[in-house]
Amino acid sequence: MDARILISALVLLGMTGCSSVQMGTKRDAYPLMYTDKKPVSMLVVPAINESTAADAGDLLNVTVAQPFADHGYYVFPVPIVAEIFKREGIVEGTQVKGLPTSVFKKNFGADSVLFITIENWDKNYMVVAGNITVGIEYVLLSTETNEVLWSYDQKVVVDTSGSSGNILVDLVATAINTAVAQYVPVAAQVHATAIQSMPFGKYHPQSGADGESRSVNLAAKDAALDPTK
Amino acid sequence: MNRAITIFVLAALIALTGCQTVTPAGYYWGNYSKTLYAYTKAPSDETLAQHSAELERIIEVSKDKNLRTPPGIHAELGYIKARRGENALAMAHYESEMQQYPESRLFLERLTTPADGTKR
Repeated sequence: MDARILISALVLLGMTGCSSVQMGTKRDAYPLMYTDKKPVSMLVVPAINESTAADAGDLLNVTVAQPFADHGYYVFPVPIVAEIFKREGIVEGTQVKGLPTSVFKKNFGADSVLFITIENWDKNYMVVAGNITVGIEYVLLSTETNEVLWSYDQKVVVDTSGSSGNILVDLVATAINTAVAQYVPVAAQVHATAIQSMPFGKYHPQSGADGESRSVNLAAKDAALDPTK
Repeated sequence: MNRAITIFVLAALIALTGCQTVTPAGYYWGNYSKTLYAYTKAPSDETLAQHSAELERIIEVSKDKNLRTPPGIHAELGYIKARRGENALAMAHYESEMQQYPESRLFLERLTTPADGTKR
């Protein structure tokens, strides 16, 4: 333990001069998740889409159940839930954002509700440089108390620039790479990265045992709750 | 760069689909995201049939490997069967989901009880 503290301190010292990334433990960042308020089940409501891609919400739905289920949570079947909401005229998370979360407990039996905001879902093409960017904000609320159980803001940028050094080749390569780049794997990567901060749920073998895991980027945790973002 | 992107995409897809692997939480997902993606991108009888077949396969493999079926798989398949009018099969799948995940009970019971209260 002492050696680890020493090494961490040295690493931190080495990082002074660059912006230091503040990491916290899961238990410190999300204390409610280590009490009996930790949810067993999670309802994913339609995404809040801040991007210009109209199909981002639908494509996101394809990716969202697996990572959270693999993290030990019971996720209500996303395609069915999406259709139920659609039938009620709800296709966007903003339509249900202001509701008391007890509504979801009453109608679905859900312990928690996950609000996802798609902040970025775009391809940026700058001729000899390009990338595909997916940025997602996650906020998990308790349906008992409306409290925030978990929050995170995560962005992944995949460079699609051609880099052969030959400018003509790179022009074409960048155009093609950017055009064929697929959003879904990048979204999956966003979930995979963000979820490292999240306490494991009941169905995961490490449930409850990960409190000391220092995997929470505190800025990312707070950014998700910042209403000015 | 092209290769790097291909590798990244493949790796992410493999991570996403789980291929032949069982995840640490003990689930086999098969090609779930692939077939769901295909159906979402281009809804048709064919893509729905393929997704439905993949759900069946995931259930089979989970049974063979003595694993819990991943959350929602039985429910999704039951829902598809109910849409096709195969009500007995639908109920059987909902039952399996409720057995494995008791927290799904309220949700699935509401799904199978029409507004007028009669059981389908």
